[in-house]
Amino acid sequence: MIFLFIIIPLLLAGLLPLLGKVSKRFLPDLLASATMLFLLVFSVLYARPLIANGGVIQQAFWFGSPLNIRLLLDGFSLFMLFTISLVSFAVTLYSINYMEHYGAKANYYALLLVMIAGMNGLVLSSDLFNIYLFLEVAAVASYALVAFGLGQDALEASFKYLMLSAVASAAILLSIAVIFGLTGGLSFGTVASGLKMLNIKYVVGFCSGLFLMGFGLKAAIVPFHFWLPDAHPSAPAPISAMLSGVLIKVSGVYAMMRIFLNVFGLTPGLTTVLTALGIASIFVGALAALGQNDIKRMLAYSSISQIGYVVLAFGIGTPLGIIGGLFHLFNHALFKSLLFLNAGAVEQSTGTRSLDKMGGLAKRMPLTAATSAVGSLAIAGVPPLNGFWSKLLIIIALVQAKMYVLAFLAVLGSVITLWYYLVLQHQAFFGKLNENWKAVKEAPFWMSAATILLALLCIVTGLVFPMVIHSWLQPAQNVLSSGIGMALNFIGF
Amino acid sequence: MHLFLMIGLVAFSILAVLNRDLLKSAICLAVASVFLALIFFQMNAVYAGVFEVSVVAGLITVLFITAIALTRGDQPVVESKRHLFIFPLFFLILIVLDILVMKKLLGRIPAIAGSETGTFGEVLWNQRTFDLVGQIGVIFAGVLGVLALFRQGDTPHKGSTPQEGTHE
Amino acid sequence: MNNLWILNMGFAALLIGTGIYCLLTMKNVVKLLIGLEIIAKGVTLALVASGYARNNLLLAQSLAITVIVVDVAVIATALAIIININRHTKSLDVGKLTRLKG
Repeated sequence: MIFLFIIIPLLLAGLLPLLGKVSKRFLPDLLASATMLFLLVFSVLYARPLIANGGVIQQAFWFGSPLNIRLLLDGFSLFMLFTISLVSFAVTLYSINYMEHYGAKANYYALLLVMIAGMNGLVLSSDLFNIYLFLEVAAVASYALVAFGLGQDALEASFKYLMLSAVASAAILLSIAVIFGLTGGLSFGTVASGLKMLNIKYVVGFCSGLFLMGFGLKAAIVPFHFWLPDAHPSAPAPISAMLSGVLIKVSGVYAMMRIFLNVFGLTPGLTTVLTALGIASIFVGALAALGQNDIKRMLAYSSISQIGYVVLAFGIGTPLGIIGGLFHLFNHALFKSLLFLNAGAVEQSTGTRSLDKMGGLAKRMPLTAATSAVGSLAIAGVPPLNGFWSKLLIIIALVQAKMYVLAFLAVLGSVITLWYYLVLQHQAFFGKLNENWKAVKEAPFWMSAATILLALLCIVTGLVFPMVIHSWLQPAQNVLSSGIGMALNFIGF
Repeated sequence: MHLFLMIGLVAFSILAVLNRDLLKSAICLAVASVFLALIFFQMNAVYAGVFEVSVVAGLITVLFITAIALTRGDQPVVESKRHLFIFPLFFLILIVLDILVMKKLLGRIPAIAGSETGTFGEVLWNQRTFDLVGQIGVIFAGVLGVLALFRQGDTPHKGSTPQEGTHE
Repeated sequence: MNNLWILNMGFAALLIGTGIYCLLTMKNVVKLLIGLEIIAKGVTLALVASGYARNNLLLAQSLAITVIVVDVAVIATALAIIININRHTKSLDVGKLTRLKG
């Protein structure tokens, strides 16, 4: 039953602090990694066949007696579940080595599990308020995780992130309250049908604006992106990977798209706003990344840029655009977490994040350099890696929708992306070996294992992308393209 | 009566913002919470009122006062007095905008009759069970977060060297 | 009944505006949290008022209670971070938090 996706991480999170007293390292490592692997396999084997005939509402059970929890599993939710489980598994493996010198590993894993439970819950909810609630669960866990290192930078970054994120959550909740007042209901179906019957454009526009502001901040879209370049570098590397790789997508893009496409319906006004914000994000992110010296900050700005591509693609609204957006979302989760994990490995080995202090690390850290090269090439859109195909789909969708200027700009953004990633690779890994790093060692076993896994997935996804599109993305796209119809089908369950 | 309570709520919130002493601010916030709870009682939302009083006016105020006491340093940060002048201006503009928007919406919102079924316990435990799972989640997140932030004994990870010459 | 809803939402808007003013202009970090709390009050009021207008008070109350619980968790985490910051910078000034460039 899909309720396990939420309850297993939560239960384990409750148990881990106690277990941590008994076994500081081995047991938490083992349990966390095993749980993540289980969830990953579970999503592929059990959940995938469930949606063969369209979305499913499943009732949860607790030791035999039915609970009144109805979870919505359709193509879009399943796709997100799979992405979350994949990235979480890699991050958990990586944390086995990386979090050694932070201490309190059991506590760390517990917070990570709560965050994952929150994200899974968000993705499986069928109700506006549940989206808000599980968004907050994941967010509160992330505030503590960003500050986990207790250094002054981390605390400051976490505080700024907290304040902005809390304001965004308030905006979302206010919008939900207004919608509740207008339609009297909270579940997708009730709200969709209620809004169709009413005819107050301005208030619905106001609610959409609030949602855009709230979810836009969570997704770090321009002009709400200010917290990202500070929060991501200061967090521990696996947390940066989780934040950039899944959290901004789940709490930002997924929630926004679910509400805009399935509950409100995609209006031309929304299309204009989304495409405008998308293009702005692409450029602000790319141009700011060009001048960065701190490797993680450059990756953070790059995240803003790539999420811009996703929002742009979703904004177009055509089936090809949606598939492009979904594919790019999945790919970005893969390669951005890969790049952040590698940056963490470099930071751990050399003690610095400044690009101009590094140089020639490929000679001492060949594995890291290789996986980082795969990640950089993938995100820059070099064929036949996965990034190329998703960007191509987005550009084709733009051309098909007759948005030629935007298509040209998207290609331009891609060129800039290629440029700064080449700079990153060259400065960090290739070139002459800097004297200081003569004695650095390659990253420890689990860290390398995690990054190799992600790099392999980038390559494989690029090679077999038609199959990926057909079996994972097509169901998700069907759900989103059916617009309000999907929500209306589920009224009164 | 309703109007009086609302005005009291907004007034004490303003006092909490404008007050220059942190402790008095926290207490104004607590009084504002009591007003809000009374508003809830008046709307017949009894459970919300009780929760508001006990949690917000109680627990959160205690948390604030604890934090203020723990951070009592030799450099208290006191706000400037000009806020006493700027804020009334801002607030006046806010009220004007508010009334304009309200007038525009008057009578435009159709009434949809809602349905009320069951008792509160039934609604909370049976209909909104998923919310309870979520509540457990946030409580875990909060407790684990505070524990992680106050941990002793492990050396905190030193942040990376501050960036020289970072472009913007 | 609906005019009452609009009146309640109007007051909630005033509260939220006050909170936003506090967030934008105050220098003390704890004051910022108080501003956040005022915004939370405004939104809770909006939630219960909406329930009152739709005659669905029980649902609105469960929602309000959940929102209050979430609020406690956020404020507790924020205060923990502030206390830790205070250990480093020995002050509660927001202006001192400028080590990271925007």
